[in-house]
Amino acid sequence: MALPWLSRSLSGLLMETASLNCQRNFSVSAVAAAIQKMTRVRVVDNSSLGNTPYHRPPRVIHVYTKNGVGKVGDRVLLAIKGQKKKALIVGHKMPGERMAPRFDSNNVVLIEDNGNPTGTRIKVPVPTHLRKLEGDYSKVLAIANSFV
Amino acid sequence: MQVKTMNLLCHSRKVLSSVLRSSVLLKPTEAFGSICSISKARCISLSVPQHFTANLTSCQHSHHTASFTGHFDIKRCYSESEESRNSESNGVIEDDSHELDDNSSENSSLSRRSLETFSLDVLVSLLRQENAVDLCVIKVPEQIKYAEYFIVVSGVSPRHLRAMALYAIKVYKFLKKDEDPNVKIEGKDAEDWMCIDFGNMVVHFMLPETREVYELEKLWTLRSYDEQLKSIPTETLPEDFIFDVEVTK
Repeated sequence: MALPWLSRSLSGLLMETASLNCQRNFSVSAVAAAIQKMTRVRVVDNSSLGNTPYHRPPRVIHVYTKNGVGKVGDRVLLAIKGQKKKALIVGHKMPGERMAPRFDSNNVVLIEDNGNPTGTRIKVPVPTHLRKLEGDYSKVLAIANSFV
Repeated sequence: MQVKTMNLLCHSRKVLSSVLRSSVLLKPTEAFGSICSISKARCISLSVPQHFTANLTSCQHSHHTASFTGHFDIKRCYSESEESRNSESNGVIEDDSHELDDNSSENSSLSRRSLETFSLDVLVSLLRQENAVDLCVIKVPEQIKYAEYFIVVSGVSPRHLRAMALYAIKVYKFLKKDEDPNVKIEGKDAEDWMCIDFGNMVVHFMLPETREVYELEKLWTLRSYDEQLKSIPTETLPEDFIFDVEVTK
């Protein structure tokens, strides 16, 4: 639902044939960083706040860690639709541990202040190593449909 | 009434274990009745009369000897099927109002610390002892490598939920060996939803209103066929989405 902004960020490349991507003659490399302030993220639950279209993509405005870098399982503060909302990172583009999944988009699940998820279902795969991390992740794992 | 319930359960257990192994799919609507209606519907729909008479005598014996442990054998019988699509039939949805409450064996279990481990039986019995409302134990299929049992409990008030969670932690600490990891309550500051993750089991304590909103039992029994999941609109990729982008790091 927030993927149109992804396409705008890759719009520096000339694509002759939009449908046949395999015909390009140059290599394409992606940004692969963890989540910090001002990153645009993708909300992956079925909450109304995350899914209603808005002219600006949701951005991270604060990361609740000691350094400002957010990895999987960290809480962040998002600016969505002109309001502030806390969220939990469930996947990022940056490669982490060798046997941990890496996602093609920076995924985030909206959370209330008391830790309850705002949405009720998550369709996107969620990493299972969230369970071993220190923190309250059982609620997010309980509403997830598929695990990676 | 209690004897009839146990007999029906004994009937359905033997029949079901044989039928589930031959992978009969049951309708999802059946999974959400009470125990009595589940077992009756299954007995009628399967209609294998020759099994009933053979099992009647054996079931009555097993009922008299160990009704408490026999009750949980039924749950384990349900879990013998390998198919993940049968997870809704694997889910033993119990309403407390229909169930027997055998507290005598559970009290003695606490004193035999070295012999008892904190298993599903102990957890369910202590939740019953705490007057948990709408206890629901779901056996998670093997493909989902999350936990073995998923338990959802309701409580009367936030204070009740907190008391149940703390009591469960207390019993776990008493019964655990030293190599078992410590377990903490997640969502301690949320008054309507608390979780405890004991390795192979996950317990969720929710208020009835919260339970209605999230409908965790529906999600965990009908894995992909859940209604809320189906009502999420499918996303379309934009036309210039680049599929296999190289990550240079």
